[in-house]
Amino acid sequence: MTKRIFRSICFVAIAVFLASVALFLCVLYNYFGNVQRNQLKTQTELAAQGAENTGADYFEGLDTKGYRITWIDTDGAVLFDSDAAAAEMENHLEREEIKEAVEEGYGESSRYSATLMERTLYSAMRLEDGTVVRLSIAQNTMLTLLLGMAQPILIIVAIAIALSFLLAYRLSRHITEPLNRLNLDDPLNNEGYDELSPLLRRIDAQQRKIRLQAEELQTKQEEFEAVTENMTEGIVVLNPKGIILSINSAAARLFDTTKACIGQHMLSVNRCMEISDLLSAMEKGVRAEKSITLQGRTYQMDISPVSEDGSVTGAVLLVLDVTEKAQAEQMRQEFTANVSHELKTPLQIIAGSAELLSNGIVKEEDRKSFYDRILTESQRMIRLVEDIIRLSHLDEGANEMKRENVDLFALANETVKSLQTEAENAQITMRLEGTPAILYGIPQLLRSLIFNLCDNAIKYNRAGGTVAVQVKTEKDRAILSVADTGIGISPEHQNRIFERFYRVDKSRSKELGGTGLGLSIVKHAARLHEAEIALNSAENEGTTITVTFPMAN
Amino acid sequence: MRTRFDEQLNTLHQELIRMGALCEEVISLAASALIQKDDALAAKIAPLDHEIDEKERQIESVCLRLLLQQQPVAGDLRQISAALKMITDLERIGDQAEDIAEILPFLNGRTLPEHIQIREMAKETSQMVTDSVDAYVKQDTAIAEAVIAADDIVDDYFIAIKNSLISLIAQNPNEGEYALDLLMAAKYFERIGDHATNIAEWVQFSVTGEKNTPQEVN
Repeated sequence: MTKRIFRSICFVAIAVFLASVALFLCVLYNYFGNVQRNQLKTQTELAAQGAENTGADYFEGLDTKGYRITWIDTDGAVLFDSDAAAAEMENHLEREEIKEAVEEGYGESSRYSATLMERTLYSAMRLEDGTVVRLSIAQNTMLTLLLGMAQPILIIVAIAIALSFLLAYRLSRHITEPLNRLNLDDPLNNEGYDELSPLLRRIDAQQRKIRLQAEELQTKQEEFEAVTENMTEGIVVLNPKGIILSINSAAARLFDTTKACIGQHMLSVNRCMEISDLLSAMEKGVRAEKSITLQGRTYQMDISPVSEDGSVTGAVLLVLDVTEKAQAEQMRQEFTANVSHELKTPLQIIAGSAELLSNGIVKEEDRKSFYDRILTESQRMIRLVEDIIRLSHLDEGANEMKRENVDLFALANETVKSLQTEAENAQITMRLEGTPAILYGIPQLLRSLIFNLCDNAIKYNRAGGTVAVQVKTEKDRAILSVADTGIGISPEHQNRIFERFYRVDKSRSKELGGTGLGLSIVKHAARLHEAEIALNSAENEGTTITVTFPMAN
Repeated sequence: MRTRFDEQLNTLHQELIRMGALCEEVISLAASALIQKDDALAAKIAPLDHEIDEKERQIESVCLRLLLQQQPVAGDLRQISAALKMITDLERIGDQAEDIAEILPFLNGRTLPEHIQIREMAKETSQMVTDSVDAYVKQDTAIAEAVIAADDIVDDYFIAIKNSLISLIAQNPNEGEYALDLLMAAKYFERIGDHATNIAEWVQFSVTGEKNTPQEVN
C-alpha cells in the first residue's frame, strides 16, 4: 500500500515539476531569444552606420564586445572578420542572412553548430556601397541550459522523492491503522473514517447472517440428537472410512462403549465378523443386513451407505432389537412342530386300529376295545383341534369378542357343576365358596379359564383329594383361586407350564387326555382381562393357582 | 504427505483389527467345537484360516511399502515393525486352530473323562486371544500384561492335562491313541496361548518402545 501511494505521489510531484520546468524554459527561452535578436539588430544597425561613416577604419581597433563582426564585399569575399583572418574565409554570398540583406537591405538567420550545443544568431545589413556588415552572437541552446540546470533539478527531484516517500508512509499509515484497529466482533461500534462504514455495515450484516445460520444449524443438530437419543434403536453414523461420526446412546449402550468413541474406527468399538462384513459392504456402496448377538440379545444391524455422485460419502448403521421377534419366530416354529406331532400320534393309533380291523385280523371279542380306542383317540383329536382353534382365536381376534358384565362366582358355580361327574369318577370332592364378583369381560373366555383350571385340578389330583374353588372381591379386584391337593409341580417346571404343549409328565398327561394347551389358554384369557396369575405349588402337596382380575369399569 | 501417511497407518491398524477378529473367531470356533462336540463348527475353521493367510500377506505388503516409501521413525516405526511381527503370530494362531479342527472329529466321538480340563483350557486360551487383540485395539498395556500373566494359567492346564493323560494311559493302555490326540490338542492350545502372549508383548513394545521378557516361539 505504502509503495503504491509513494509511487503515485512521486510520479505526480516529478511530473508537475518537470512540466513546469519545460514550460518556463520554453517561455523564457523565446523571450530572451527575442531580446537578444533585437539587441543584435540594433548593434548591427549601429555597426552599419559606423561602417558607412568611417569606412574600413571603423573596423580597426573595434571593440566587438562579444559580437563577431564580419564585413563582406559585394562579391561575397570577406573584407574583415573580428574572429578569423578574412583572407582565409570562403565566399559568404550564399549565406541565408547575406542573401536576404543583399536583396532587402536586412537579413537574419540562426544556425546550430555541428554539436548542437550552440546556436549562432546572425544579422546582416547592406551598406550604401553594396557591401554587407554582419554581426553574429552565440546563443545557448535549450539543452545547454538544461545541462547547466541539471544539478538543481536533480536535487529538487531527490527532495520530491524523499518528501513523497514520507507523505506516502504517513498517508498509508493513516489509512491502514484504523483498519487494523477495527473490532470485527462489533463492526458498527468502531471509530474509523467515513469511507469505512459501508464495509463495516456489510461485515455486520454478514455476521448476523452467519450467526443466524449457525443457530439454525445448532437447533437442527439438537433436534436430530434429541430424536436419535430417545430412540430405542441404535444409530451410528460413519464416514466412508468407517470412522464414527456420531452415535446415539442406545447404540453406545449396545456396543458397550461411550460417546468418547466418536472419531474412532467402528472396528475399534466392535470387531466381530458381522460388523467387518457390513463395513466391506459399505465400501462397495451396497446395503447390507446382519443379525448379531450382543449381551444375550439378538440385534438386527442394517447398514445403508449414503452415496453422492457415485461415491460413498458415509453410512448409517441402524441396530434394531429383534430378540422378541426372534423368540416369537422360534415359538411359532416350535408350535407348528408340536401341533403336527400332537396330531400325528392319535391319527396313527386310529389308522393302525382301523387297518387291523379292516384286515379282519382282530378277533371278534377284541373288536370292542379297538372301536373304543378309535373313539377315544378321535375325541382327543377333536379336543386338541378345538383348543388350537381357541388359542389361535385368542392370538388374533380376541379384541372383537363381546365384553359384558359377568359374575365370576356364577361362572365358577356352573363349571363346578359340569365337572361334578368327572370329579366323582376320580373320587375327588369339589368345593366352591365365595361371593359374587361382577367383572366386565368376555364370558366364554372366563368360562374356559375356570374350566381349564378346575379340569387340571381334578386330573392331577389323587383319589380322595379335594379341589377348592374360591371367588372373592378385595377392594377393586376380583380374586379366583383354585387349590388342589394333588401331585404338585416341581420348581423347575413351574416357569414353563404356561407354554404351549409343555407337560410336566408326558405319559400321565396323555393318559388323562390332556392336550398340553389348557394352561396356555388360561394365560391368554388372563392377559386379555389384564389379570395376574400366581402359582403356588409344592411337590406332592398340591397346587394353588390364583388369578387376580382388576374390577375397574 | 503426513496426512497420507497417517491415513495409511490407520488402514494398517484397521486391517490388523480385522485379522485379529478373524483369529478370535477361529479360536472361539475351535473351543466351542470342542466344548459342544460340534464337528460342524470345526468345519468352519479351514476357510477362515485361508482368509487369515490372505490377510497376513496383504498386511505384510502394506508394512513393507510403508517402510520403503515413508521411512518411518520413532513411534511410527515401532507400530509398523510390531505389526509385521504380530501378523506372524496371528497367522500361527490361525494355523494351530485349523490343526485342532483336524483332530476334533477323532476326539468328539469319545466321552471325555471329567477330570481332563481341556475344555477349561480351550476357554482360557480363547479368552487370551480375545484379550490380546483387545489390548492391540485399545493400545492398552494393562490388558497386555493381564494376557502375559494368563499364559501361566494355560501352561499349568497343559501340565495338568499331560499328567492326567499319563495316568489314563497307565490305567488303560487301549486309550493310547485317544490320549495322544488329546495331548496334541492341548499342545496346540498351549501354543496359541504363547502366540497370544507374543502379541501382547508386541503391543507393549508398540506403545512403550520397550520389550521385556522375550519369549521364544517356534
